[in-house]
Amino acid sequence: MSPDDLAAQLEQLHAAAFGWALSCCGWDRPAAEDVLQASYLKILDGRARFDGRSAFRTWVFGVIRRTAAEARRRAVLWRWLPLARLLLGPAGADGRPDPEAVLVQADEAARLVGALARLPDRQRAVLHLVFYEDLTIAEAAGVLGVALGTARTHYERGKMALRRMLEEKER
Amino acid sequence: MTRHSDDELRAQFQALRRDTELGAPVFGATMSGVPRQRRRAARARRRVAAIALGAATGVALLAVFGPHRRTTVLVDLAAARWEAPTDFLLRAPGAELLRTTPTFTLEGRLLP
Repeated sequence: MSPDDLAAQLEQLHAAAFGWALSCCGWDRPAAEDVLQASYLKILDGRARFDGRSAFRTWVFGVIRRTAAEARRRAVLWRWLPLARLLLGPAGADGRPDPEAVLVQADEAARLVGALARLPDRQRAVLHLVFYEDLTIAEAAGVLGVALGTARTHYERGKMALRRMLEEKER
Repeated sequence: MTRHSDDELRAQFQALRRDTELGAPVFGATMSGVPRQRRRAARARRRVAAIALGAATGVALLAVFGPHRRTTVLVDLAAARWEAPTDFLLRAPGAELLRTTPTFTLEGRLLP
């Protein structure tokens, strides 16, 4: 795939990819933008190559997930090891949900983001991919690199926990 | 039936998606930051390479010009004397007679 084709495909996915990057970065917008740029850079420079084994969207989401995880690890390293700042540059996303820094203003959306922030990472990711990005559980498993059964378990447990939290917040 | 059915959850997520997409950066703006990211990544790689090179050079210099001889402490065994703390128990009166050759003298002269 030529760089122009890649850029065109990325442009089509851009809004969904931004939502996924936000979810991977705990709804921290600057971190999500950094992660998205770093992911695009990997794709355009050929450091991440699409081999056609999955849908393009699944693959791009996987690249974003791994890039966000790298940024989180770098942020942790940066926090504990001052020398790392010299080596790796400024810290990126630390992946911790910061309720003050959430993107959305609407009450209902803010409630949902707040509840999602309290879920374990895998459960939050599966629910986001299925309900927000309209992926199937199998596709979500592909993005997360886990078995279908594992993704289904995270999906069911995440749904139950999310419902419970949303109902608590409504009381 | 729970209050938040799957459809209701999906509707909430879709509302969140609409909100998010309204505030999403345009593709061109994101792509315009890619060269900056590329420069930043290249800078980080150069820094890591420079530090690795510096460390390797330091180790090499140390290997070439470092102290080769191991510092050894010479102990003069003849001068060394060690006594056990319980040696005094073996000291009996007249014990020196057992370790020396007796001499016999007559009127101040040593007898052969």
